[in-house]
Amino acid sequence: MSEVSLAKQAVLNEWNDTMKKAGSWLPKEMIGVFLFFGTMPIWIEDIGLYQYLGLEFVILIIYALGYNVLLGYTGLPSFGHGALFGVGGYAIGIVQFEIFPNLWLGLLFAFLAGAVFGGVMGLFMSHRRGIYFALLSIALSQIIMFAAMQASDLTGGEDGLLDIKRLPIDLGFLEIDISTAERFYYFVFAVFIIVTVFLYRLIHSPFGMILKSIKQNEQRAQFLGYNVRFYKWMSIVLSSAIAGLAGGLMAMAQEAAFINVMSLQWSGTVVFITLIGGGLVSFWGPVVGTVIYIGARDLLGLHTEAWMLWYGLLFMLIVMFKPEGIMGIYQDITAGRSVFSFRKRQQKAGSQSGE
Amino acid sequence: MDTVSFYLPYLINGVTFGLLLALVALGFVLILGVMEVVNMAHGSMFALGAYLALLIVSPDGGLPQQFGWLFDFPLSVRLGIALVVSPLIVFLVGMGLELCVRRTYGKDHLYGLLLTFGAAFVLEELIRIYWGSSERFLPIPAAISGGFIADGIIYSVYRFYAAGFAIVVTLLLWLFLERTPYGAIIKAGVYDSEMVRALGINIKVLRMLVFGLGAALAALAGIAMVPLWGLRPHIGLDAIIPAFVIVALGGIGSFWGAVIAAVLIGAVTGLTAAFHSGWSMVSMYILLVIVMSFRVRGLSGKTSSLE
Repeated sequence: MSEVSLAKQAVLNEWNDTMKKAGSWLPKEMIGVFLFFGTMPIWIEDIGLYQYLGLEFVILIIYALGYNVLLGYTGLPSFGHGALFGVGGYAIGIVQFEIFPNLWLGLLFAFLAGAVFGGVMGLFMSHRRGIYFALLSIALSQIIMFAAMQASDLTGGEDGLLDIKRLPIDLGFLEIDISTAERFYYFVFAVFIIVTVFLYRLIHSPFGMILKSIKQNEQRAQFLGYNVRFYKWMSIVLSSAIAGLAGGLMAMAQEAAFINVMSLQWSGTVVFITLIGGGLVSFWGPVVGTVIYIGARDLLGLHTEAWMLWYGLLFMLIVMFKPEGIMGIYQDITAGRSVFSFRKRQQKAGSQSGE
Repeated sequence: MDTVSFYLPYLINGVTFGLLLALVALGFVLILGVMEVVNMAHGSMFALGAYLALLIVSPDGGLPQQFGWLFDFPLSVRLGIALVVSPLIVFLVGMGLELCVRRTYGKDHLYGLLLTFGAAFVLEELIRIYWGSSERFLPIPAAISGGFIADGIIYSVYRFYAAGFAIVVTLLLWLFLERTPYGAIIKAGVYDSEMVRALGINIKVLRMLVFGLGAALAALAGIAMVPLWGLRPHIGLDAIIPAFVIVALGGIGSFWGAVIAAVLIGAVTGLTAAFHSGWSMVSMYILLVIVMSFRVRGLSGKTSSLE
């Protein structure tokens, strides 16, 4: 082999290495997702939807991606994240009305409010697992919901906290107005990019590995010397903070914060979204799940009032036949496995029901 | 007025409410204890039972024309029919749901919970399609409605009948589980399902029947509860949340733990209402959080694979 081709090979290797490193920072799924949502305002009206929907898409995805750190990666089924989503919305409004009207301050408070409330919830839940964890998360979120209802001076009670403004981006020397739906969309999209990259790196960091090991076997992680309770608590706090942030963005999108997002249904909706998409097997599951959820709501909703019926049936079918969700099907197809291995599963179920 | 006579009516209201909550939770506790499935559709079974009763009891409940002769019977007879027919239908619905839940056995318990959560949405939507979203009321015979005055305070008569009904059903269920061979088989199925199968008992059918029984109990609770609560499609949610709290407070797999927890919750919410009506429902969650902070498995829960 000539020297030139060797040198070429070396350059090529180096390039491959760089690409691999960049790849872990910017995988092709992430590029696809960013392109899809980055261009959304351009084509969303052409497919018969409206601009506001784009906001809902991206905000729900932020919420669900954060939630999936807890459900998909730590294996803790919280049914109480709606309360934290709601707390974030109130935080935005309260900062605007009672403290100082500033966008950054509002978002910071929404984030922190989620973290603080989630942190307190976590103190009661972080040494639990499974069903008890789910039950406690319901109880604690109901307490927050009732407290919000009682504190109607601050939260507006059942009427909601109205007239929340989309404040301009204040850079000190420059103010950028984001009050129109399209401009606000790009602001939310920027937040979405930051959150996504942050969470993606976090999941693929040693911290993320510890969370996964806790999901697989909590006792083993404990024996390896990790403070399992602390890591579970951190996972709760992190997902809560992002839920609070998403709730704050939603309050700005709706220009109001309402109590109903704190209900069990809304908390359940994020579990639906995460699971249908395949959050248990893929980081991108919540994205797919959100697209399906809003798609089902708005497209089925055009034809039938009872879209929840079909959505619920779809959900049941997925849990029954493909609990790994849409991303699970996608992974099976790309890996060349058969998607529905009926016989294998029946045998498995048969041998296990006898335990 | 001295302290006792001030608090007594609140306590009485609370305890009767608690007995009804126990009835709401029983089917949930049964399915959770025996099958280790968190049946999120329990509330929908509760609502379905109540709506089916509405069909039979109320002339504008949406019953098809060909059954119009039913309304020749007096109200009390129709309520009696509803108390039999509605749980029977919900029993069948419950068995049907078990056929779906069956696929999640042997996997993470979360899947059973999620599947039934989906089923809850489906059932609620079906109810909404057939009966509409507006609030309905289940008429009850004059003999068991109305109020009476004791010591200057008005009590609702129906509350006491409903609480009595709850006690009877609870005792019957306990007798069924503890004093009949069928109950022994069910409990043996929890303990060692392989041995039960080896004895020639069809465990698949057994599980289906238990799920159906749990659903039928929810339907009974629904009929007893809705004259107090009113009927809305999402009433299932109002019922399932107390059931959760009761199960977590009483401890999974404990029959009397659940009953005691329910009465305790009733008493606490009743007494809180004496001070501040808005906080009365929150007090049960606070009670739960306090108890669970000190006793991991509730008042009398056993170690369970559900943790």
